[in-house]
Amino acid sequence: MALRIVIDVLIGIGLVFALAGTKGILKMPDTFCRMQASTCINTMGVIGVALGALLYAIFIMGSTSAAIKIAVIALLIITINPIGSHAIAKGAYRAGIRPDKPMEIDDLGRDLENE
Amino acid sequence: MQKTRFPAVLSTFVLCFAFWVLLTWSFEIQELAAGAVVSLAAALFASRFFIQEKAFRLVHPRRFFSLLVYVFVFLGELLKANLDVARRCFGGCKDVNPGIVKVPVDLPDGYAEAMLANSITLTPGTITLDIAEEDGKDYYYIHWIDVAETDRVKAGEIIKGRMEKWIGRIWK
Amino acid sequence: MSDILIFSVAFACLAFINLYRLVKGPTAADRMVAGDAADTLICCAMILFSIFSGRGIYLDIAIVGALLGIIDTLLVGRYLEGRGWNDGAADRH
Repeated sequence: MALRIVIDVLIGIGLVFALAGTKGILKMPDTFCRMQASTCINTMGVIGVALGALLYAIFIMGSTSAAIKIAVIALLIITINPIGSHAIAKGAYRAGIRPDKPMEIDDLGRDLENE
Repeated sequence: MQKTRFPAVLSTFVLCFAFWVLLTWSFEIQELAAGAVVSLAAALFASRFFIQEKAFRLVHPRRFFSLLVYVFVFLGELLKANLDVARRCFGGCKDVNPGIVKVPVDLPDGYAEAMLANSITLTPGTITLDIAEEDGKDYYYIHWIDVAETDRVKAGEIIKGRMEKWIGRIWK
Repeated sequence: MSDILIFSVAFACLAFINLYRLVKGPTAADRMVAGDAADTLICCAMILFSIFSGRGIYLDIAIVGALLGIIDTLLVGRYLEGRGWNDGAADRH
């Protein structure tokens, strides 16, 4: 029973961070801030869900292959997602997408103008 | 175009075969033989794109121990940054002050720089946009959700934290 | 047992909420970010549904979904950058 409580708390933590990321994606003021909020889903949300599901698969289902597959899915999402995030952010900046409000400091735009 | 070398083929083969066993999860001799043939073909064709330098670099006690310590250092940073961004999201999304800062980086080779850039991107609140070289030093352009410091070196200390030191130990 | 199912349905609902930004978003990057987040959330929902129903096939689908989600994000990123694929090939020769 204590194990079920631990599993539910871990998945609940993942759900809370996923909710935070979703709210950020809907409400943040500009494109780059929305990307920052979506990183929340890709890291803590996935880690919480994967840890909970891993404990469930090992101790309640007793299935080793499911546990290893869950660990591999979490590792894949966590190691590969920054590449896509980086590509989409760089592409958006090069395509001329800027926030409505001027940014506090913009080193990349200044260096691009000097080239 | 790089030539195909034996250590690169061997390490790509081990990775592909591990993935095959993982997906099928049956240990009959026929399935394992089919997996070995497919993995060998994939390794022969793809290893020169996949591994450019020394293939078994991480099989070394000091580097492997540094990698294990780095995972925990990184998880700590991740948890802190996640709590910060989640607080901003639940607090109405008005508490942001975005900007792009240019941060110097001092690491031995390209793999280490790519690893640090991916770690920074994975931390909520910072995204690496580009890497540029100026006067023999490398710089990251980092989009930061809350610019607390506009000076380059101090901003770099805040963003990179302890991650740069441990990545330098892994790839030394 | 059934609380795992409730969590799974909650993740799927969050993915549907993300579709609002995918339909409305003013720029292509916004749509792509929302699509990527929905992809990850569907992956989480599929992991939870797999351990709820005890069938391993959903985990394989989740692996393939995660890999394909990254590839289309990379494609749209390269497209937005506006340089095409030929630059890298020109460097290599």
